[in-house]
Amino acid sequence: MSKRIFHSAVILAATVALAGLAFAQTYGTKGYAPGAWKPDELPKALSNAKPFDAHDLSGVWSMPTKGFEKHSLTSGPLDLQHVPTEMKQNSFPPPMTAWGKARFDATRVSYGPRSVPPGTGNDPVSTCDPLGYPRAIWEANLRPFEFVMARDRVLQHMQYHDVWRTIWTDGRALPKDPDPAWYGYSVGRWEGDTFVVDSTGYDERTWIDHFGNPHSEQMHLEERFHRTDPDTLVVNMVLTDPKAYTKPWVSDTITFVNPKAAIFEEICAPSEENLFNDRIRDAAVGKSKP
Amino acid sequence: MRVKLLASSVLLVGVLAGVRPLLAHHGTGVAYEPEKMVTVKGTVTDWLWSNPHCGLLFDVTDTKGVVTHWGAEFGNPHQLSGAGFSKETFKAGDKITVSGHPARSGAPRMTFDHAVLADGTELSTRGVKGNGERDEANQ
Repeated sequence: MSKRIFHSAVILAATVALAGLAFAQTYGTKGYAPGAWKPDELPKALSNAKPFDAHDLSGVWSMPTKGFEKHSLTSGPLDLQHVPTEMKQNSFPPPMTAWGKARFDATRVSYGPRSVPPGTGNDPVSTCDPLGYPRAIWEANLRPFEFVMARDRVLQHMQYHDVWRTIWTDGRALPKDPDPAWYGYSVGRWEGDTFVVDSTGYDERTWIDHFGNPHSEQMHLEERFHRTDPDTLVVNMVLTDPKAYTKPWVSDTITFVNPKAAIFEEICAPSEENLFNDRIRDAAVGKSKP
Repeated sequence: MRVKLLASSVLLVGVLAGVRPLLAHHGTGVAYEPEKMVTVKGTVTDWLWSNPHCGLLFDVTDTKGVVTHWGAEFGNPHQLSGAGFSKETFKAGDKITVSGHPARSGAPRMTFDHAVLADGTELSTRGVKGNGERDEANQ
């Protein structure tokens, strides 16, 4: 009796293993992260390997390094002063309202033509404050995100700051009058093979990107995600914020790739950043003695 | 219009190609001089392995015996892991020769480019991309 059970178990195990191999050509995560599990400490097969399903966005999403200069919804020239008028509509961002311009002018950024020495800037990132969204995904080449599919929500996990953004898929609409949240409030639905996410209620202390482009609590973001193949995810966004911009900001088609690597812990600890500033960076700009 | 946009994009990429990815962060191109390289010999006093920046502190003694406290800034730990760095790479007391881009202010600070350890091993952050990848063509 036990021999038969044993043989059945072996056959079952072999079938499962072979099935896994057959699907292993699609996608899954290797779980490798530097400083954590070494390659020989990981399972041999891709974990979570399954056949391609466009309605499954799960996986880690990164940008090719060439996308590094693609810092925002659009990747127009950085120096808007020298952009010909007819091109300005394709550059970022759209024209700002007086409110938006005032917020923008108050930023002391660390990137692009307006950048100041980091010790003298006011980028919230330099004090480990939340990045907010969509800023959290612009550096996906260094700090990817992953999607985790659950029954009533899709979770977007950002590596930097270890943030989990909940996108409710239980049919609810956006809240009518929410208190602002660093990462806003999001709901999602499927339109064919496109995952449409609507979000609002973002705390206006965050920046849209690291060039200091502002947003208000009125910002509404629509994202249309489409997984075109196991290794590619594209998104198109429309950002509408009448308090800050006179027109909607329509994004480029932004492409993410699956690096087959895992998200790993990347916490911005204020004590660590302060230590770095105190001991190294402040001295570079004369804020402290070496 | 599309041709102009393409031309501008090419120009932008060309400008950025001259700046290594690590230096494009956090205004380091403003506080430091990416076109210059300085090399100093010293002794490690501390190695900060932390997010979002790692840092190396080392003392340089001149011929008159005057000690200058130098510091070099790096990117984040997982960028560095791909280049062969770890928490254990440097220890207080290690003798090293460090090269990097100096602070515009003239302060003894630099953004790290490469170092040679006492045993002759060279460690560099050239060509390091995100998440520990290395750009094979740019090492």
